[in-house]
Amino acid sequence: MNPFVSLALSNGVPLDTLVLVLILPIIVTMIAFFRQVIGIKAFGIYTPAIITFAFLATNQIKYGIIIFVTVIAMGTFVRYLLKQFRLLYLPRVAIMITIVGFAILALLIIGGIYNRTGLASVSIFPILIMITLVEKFVAVQIEKGGRTAVILAVETLIISVIGYYIASWPALIGFILNYPWISLLTIPFNIFLGKWTGLRMSEYFRFRQIIKSK
Amino acid sequence: MIAFFKNSRKILGMNARNLQFIRPNNLRRAKRLADDKLLSKKILKKADLPVPNLIAKIKNIDELENFDWNTLPESFVLKPNRGFGGEGILVVYGKKKNRENTWIKADGSLITVNDIKTHITNIVDGSYSRSGVPDIAFFEERLKLLKLFKPYAFKGIPDIRIIAYNKVPVMAMLRLPTRESEGKANLQQGGVGVGIDMASGVTTTAVYHKNTIIEYLPGSRLVLSGIRIPYWKNILSLAVRAQEISGLGFLGADIAIDRDRGPVFLELNARPGLSIQIANLDGLLGRLQRVEGLKIKTAEKGVAVGMNLFGGEIEEEIEDISGKKIIGLVEKIKLIGKEGQEIEVEAKIDTGAGLSSIDTGLAKELGFEKTVEEYERLGLDYEKIKNMAKNEREELFESIPDLADTAIIHSSHGTTHRPMINIDLSMNNLTVPAKVTIIDRSNLKYPAIIGRKNLRKFLIQVK
Repeated sequence: MNPFVSLALSNGVPLDTLVLVLILPIIVTMIAFFRQVIGIKAFGIYTPAIITFAFLATNQIKYGIIIFVTVIAMGTFVRYLLKQFRLLYLPRVAIMITIVGFAILALLIIGGIYNRTGLASVSIFPILIMITLVEKFVAVQIEKGGRTAVILAVETLIISVIGYYIASWPALIGFILNYPWISLLTIPFNIFLGKWTGLRMSEYFRFRQIIKSK
Repeated sequence: MIAFFKNSRKILGMNARNLQFIRPNNLRRAKRLADDKLLSKKILKKADLPVPNLIAKIKNIDELENFDWNTLPESFVLKPNRGFGGEGILVVYGKKKNRENTWIKADGSLITVNDIKTHITNIVDGSYSRSGVPDIAFFEERLKLLKLFKPYAFKGIPDIRIIAYNKVPVMAMLRLPTRESEGKANLQQGGVGVGIDMASGVTTTAVYHKNTIIEYLPGSRLVLSGIRIPYWKNILSLAVRAQEISGLGFLGADIAIDRDRGPVFLELNARPGLSIQIANLDGLLGRLQRVEGLKIKTAEKGVAVGMNLFGGEIEEEIEDISGKKIIGLVEKIKLIGKEGQEIEVEAKIDTGAGLSSIDTGLAKELGFEKTVEEYERLGLDYEKIKNMAKNEREELFESIPDLADTAIIHSSHGTTHRPMINIDLSMNNLTVPAKVTIIDRSNLKYPAIIGRKNLRKFLIQVK
């Protein structure tokens, strides 16, 4: 075993924590890559990263996805309801978080009724994270409109699911525990990404008409 | 495949826009200016550039409570100072008669003082500002729609987005408000963007919903290409002036045209969108690179460079459609003689003349020396010819080499009899065979005149 890893473990750092911290640079680098080279935007870098870890913390990813979709669907619905009241930003978000919270509770109970105990036993940490996702969602709705907000939410979901599979890939975890410094290699890679001025893959599609023209 | 790489290299993507153009050219101070509508208004006004007149501003709830609503004119526009993407703008068209403090909105619905107050509260609270910081609401004069734009604009004012870089206007787009965009000209709100030829100010292709290319205005049969933007040169030079003043090295200027005042600045933009490329079916990066590093001293020079470098698509397009070439009233043409001798001259394009004619000296240079000499030796003039029978004339001319025909020409100088020869004319890269008359034009400004008979494959542009 790598001396750094054994040092950490022998001093009481839990293995899970160690793995998550070492894998975090890879996840955020992947998100940066998706934005700069592929053109999938998502809600910035924090939200998809934290949703990835929320997925890791739910026992099964399908429950994570169900909760995520519920939050976004409720967020859209409640925004529609609240539009006519013309409320100020923070009170409006407070109401949304409340309603989304209750919707998640209802979802857990329904899961229990249909003997989906896995859903009810999801720990509170991922649930809270995903409920607060609604604030990001509302902010984007206001800034860029409802359509864009839904597109970005779907992109966030896609990135987080990919992140989940990367972060729970046993071969990668084993590798990173043997060579923890590999994580730092993301820094030069990000310097490269940060200087990248080429077209994003999505832009080849967006500007296809110009590319096609004579 | 090669075309694919060539074209995609010309396109400006998000990464390059942010890293290569916005970051080094638009410094923080300049960006702050662009994001602050009141400040950019003030600075533009100070430089004598036209902006909509400010009526009043409301900085906080206190000022809102004490605001005297009677100071508002019949029509006005209410805007958030740090708004973006056209959000939070309220356009009021007129005051409702016989009702206290009630106005009519763009869509004909009524709006009361209380509605306006709620809107202002939202603005002041930062609902429409970037990152939600508290904001200032302000009233400004409502611009009046130009007659030309009336059929194209749905309840709003179209504006013209100009991208200026290094004091050169590089690309432009006309933005039309639609039903979907609720009278706002912004593309992300559902407005239509129409590309503009930089040289002529005439619209080309149109884009809708960011990526879809359209020919007609949605919901109508109005063709979007071929609209000639008035004050074009003036608009371009305004954009360049604004760039000098604002310090935005990479600027997106939004200019509207008021019916009475002419071009007026709406907004300066430090992060102009990229869809303008689709509306023009051309990449920005290619254009920016051509302008980069040029030393442009004055706005006029910059405008001229932009018009020259990035214009002309229209002419090519018309040429494509009609299959005809476009030439001017005076055109540099090439005369091609008997043995392929080529002479370049400036010719007058004259639709008043039937036949083309060239100077005697030119005819000699083109290899028709003998023809000219032998004809001249006959010593003919119109009076002699007039009385000859047809076969008599034919006999007379038979011996002259390379004589194609003769013609009697009535012109402002009187009536003359002239010899004719067969040559080729090349105008705007199109070569046509021509039978031309020969006459002494040495005292005239142009050594050649091109008449109707040889202009069938051309369109003439009157400048």
